[in-house]
Amino acid sequence: MKLLRRLLIPVLLLAAAGGAVATVYVLRLSQTVVHQFEGRRWTLPAQVYAAPLELYAGLPLSEKDVESELKRLAYRRTDTPQSAEPKTGTYRRIGARIDVGLRAARFADQARPAELLAITTSEGAITDLRDALGREVPIVRLDPLLIGSIFPIHGEDRIVVTPDEVPPLLPAALKAVEDRNFDTNRGIDVLGILRALWVDIRAGEWQQGGSTLTQQLVRSYFLSPQRTASRKIREAIMAVALDEHFSKADLMNAYINEIHLGQDGNRAIHGFGLAAEFYFGKPLSELDLDEIATLVAIVRGPSYYDPRRHPSRVLKRRNLVLDEMVEQHVIPESDARLAQAQPLGITSKTAGAYYPAYLDLVRRTLRRDYPEQDLTEAGLEVFTNLDPRVQADAEHVLDRELARLDRVHKQRVPGAPLEGAVVVTAPQSGDVIAVVGGRDAGYDGFDRALDGRRQIGSLVKPFIYLAALESGRYNATSIIQDQPVSIRVAGGKLWQPENFTRENYGPVPLVRALAESLNDATVNLGMDIGLESVGHSLERFGLDRAPPQNPSLLLGTVELTPLEVAQLYGGLANGGFRTTLRAVRAVLSADGKPLKAFPVEVDAVAQADPVYEVDSMLEQVIERGTGRPALGVLPRGLIVAGKTGTSSDLRDSWFAGFSGDDLAVVWVGYDDDRVAGFTGETGALPVWSHLMADIAMSSWNVPLPDTLQSVTIDYATGFRANAACSSDLVTLPVPPGTNPPLKPGCPTTAFGAVIGSVHELMQRAGQWLQSMAH
Amino acid sequence: MVLPTLAVVLAAAGCGSLIGPPYEPPAPAQTVRPPATPAPQTTAPSQTPQSPLPAPAPAPPPAPREHRLGAAATALVEQARKQAAGGDPQLAQATLERALRIEPDNPLLWIMLGEAHESTGQYALAGSMGHKALQLATGDPRAQAQAWRLIGDSLRARGRNPEANAAYSRADTLAAP
Repeated sequence: MKLLRRLLIPVLLLAAAGGAVATVYVLRLSQTVVHQFEGRRWTLPAQVYAAPLELYAGLPLSEKDVESELKRLAYRRTDTPQSAEPKTGTYRRIGARIDVGLRAARFADQARPAELLAITTSEGAITDLRDALGREVPIVRLDPLLIGSIFPIHGEDRIVVTPDEVPPLLPAALKAVEDRNFDTNRGIDVLGILRALWVDIRAGEWQQGGSTLTQQLVRSYFLSPQRTASRKIREAIMAVALDEHFSKADLMNAYINEIHLGQDGNRAIHGFGLAAEFYFGKPLSELDLDEIATLVAIVRGPSYYDPRRHPSRVLKRRNLVLDEMVEQHVIPESDARLAQAQPLGITSKTAGAYYPAYLDLVRRTLRRDYPEQDLTEAGLEVFTNLDPRVQADAEHVLDRELARLDRVHKQRVPGAPLEGAVVVTAPQSGDVIAVVGGRDAGYDGFDRALDGRRQIGSLVKPFIYLAALESGRYNATSIIQDQPVSIRVAGGKLWQPENFTRENYGPVPLVRALAESLNDATVNLGMDIGLESVGHSLERFGLDRAPPQNPSLLLGTVELTPLEVAQLYGGLANGGFRTTLRAVRAVLSADGKPLKAFPVEVDAVAQADPVYEVDSMLEQVIERGTGRPALGVLPRGLIVAGKTGTSSDLRDSWFAGFSGDDLAVVWVGYDDDRVAGFTGETGALPVWSHLMADIAMSSWNVPLPDTLQSVTIDYATGFRANAACSSDLVTLPVPPGTNPPLKPGCPTTAFGAVIGSVHELMQRAGQWLQSMAH
Repeated sequence: MVLPTLAVVLAAAGCGSLIGPPYEPPAPAQTVRPPATPAPQTTAPSQTPQSPLPAPAPAPPPAPREHRLGAAATALVEQARKQAAGGDPQLAQATLERALRIEPDNPLLWIMLGEAHESTGQYALAGSMGHKALQLATGDPRAQAQAWRLIGDSLRARGRNPEANAAYSRADTLAAP
């Protein structure tokens, strides 16, 4: 008795102290969780968008093309009758007209609400665009394609949805399945826990997890997934605290945006907004009942219930979810039966747009201006210049042609695949519109387009010829000597490069030396002009490091990435104007405020006339030179210009060339730098020409400047000639007063002129007959 | 008499093609390129690099090359004007860039974008765009004059008055009928 009394006070004090500690602990935990939840919400990765497709009358898109573009943006075809309007996110075809329920969209410069659009096409082009009131619309943009996000190293990715973007069936389904008393409970559901325990003991299978949505939210947001007792207690306390301080609507919205719903490599899919895109390729607001049920089914365990790896398991659970929804009176039975009859409908992962190589370039661009945390957490909206059509085509063509080259190639080594890279730009604006980092375009690994530094070989030559033209001592018709070269280089050795054909051709006009990539003629020319001039010309066009000052520079021993080559050749394609290559167009904050724009910039880095002459000679590379095989692939009449590049020993195969609107650079070779055995003509050119055939829309046809004149020469010898004395004439721009000597034996009298005309007439007739035969 | 002469003429014509070049092109080349007369600028918008090529039209016959804007570009230019007038030059620039993506070869658009950059104080860039417009405006004196005026403005704004005056007088020469 006495003992009890003596112990009573200390025990009471201890109990009081224990209670105080516990209370303090609970209070502090509650405070922390409320503060954190209120302040931080969640990390929002930067969302990255492709360039929106601009529609206008005259754009050569056929009806089929328009439909492909809509499908790319996950618009679904419906058959709503003409009296009704197509729902947002759907389209219908009525004859040659496509009616689209355009989604609301945010662009770099404005936001636009959802609206209706009627697109009429005829003979492969858009002829008419009208809005809901039947008024003509001169130009309209489709919503931009989401191409990925820049998510933090620990890999959480999400698309935040606001309450009005959430279909009402989703919270209803979540409550029915995961937390029946969500609306009334206090964050934890004691009865629910007990019930779950009982069920678990009995069945060992799921039925109810026993955790409220709030507890799941706490678990996902704050805690690691350990299942210890102390964690459970903390979780309960925090759930109660959240429920105390925030509305049910708030908590539901947080849950919808937070919960882990899938894994994609090192990218964790969080939130229903991203899950809808990831599994169904659609915005959350456009999901149907069965699709909502599928996502709710996945909540229980995204890897156990991975719809791509375990489709039948997920289908079963989806239908259970639907049953539960009927039982809880969320949906009528008829709706559930209809939904249960649907297939899972999960899109294949590659069907969604995910372009790691391009995203890589975007990331690098933005890292210059934004700290990592802003990039991955501040919810930036990044608008890029990616053209998804060109990108998809470039990936496809590269893969297909490399496979063909593999089959053709005799020295193929198993396990060491031939690789390649493609960069496509719009040289007038400097927009980077496609980047393919390798044969397996979806693989987020070594990006050969941005990091694959390889010897450019003959790609350097146009810059040598440009320097020559700029010196004033040469023009496109000047005769240079294609004679053996022997130069003493550092170390006392003799450098004796040869032409690819191992022959020399003596005196040749400049155009021929470039078109046929004659090494010896080029080296002779380059040594005459001087390495410094050549290096200077490269630097002006955007080479950002000092070029080697030894003669091998003239045969391209400098190492560049395909993107760097695109920068250099952009200046040639753009008539001597350098534009900085830009992947990013603009960056906006999470709430749409413009943060940074990357405007189109041009800078004259060379006089227009010499560049025009070089471009004309590059046109001859295709017409007559090493680029000639392209003519068999390109549409008749499309004028392009470009240059093959082959590094020594055929390790690297390049082609860089342009049409009126696109510039493409292709590299083909092996990663381990072994001899590939392809020249630029046999390796990279097929990739380039097939790509150009698909995407090029206009010829390179810059008008002859006022300050130049035309002269017609015999291509092989460089003499001025006419049809009477040459069967291979080429007309080239030259400075005024340029007068190459007349070809010996070439008639110049009136009589000769008549003969010339008759001859030319006969040649033309022959050509016409030939073309008829095709 | 006529026949033998004709035979001689034809034989002489045939002889001209017997002188072969030392290097044979890989395939029987027969493309005699028509003389490079200034290819006229199309007045319709050139297409964006966003769709496959059906078949590009061959160069139209030479004609006076006054540049005009297509319907889509016109609408965008109008929008840009409103945006600039509304005090949002950056937005106007973005809209003009949209137009340029549709018609990258139209000097009028480069001039307009250059003027837009001028209004925000980016004189060097405005001048570069003037030069770019000039390059595209071959054969179109009106556009060339506008380009020279833009170049002149950009030079004067940077304090390079003699050069600016030279540019202006070139503009005047071109604009004069």
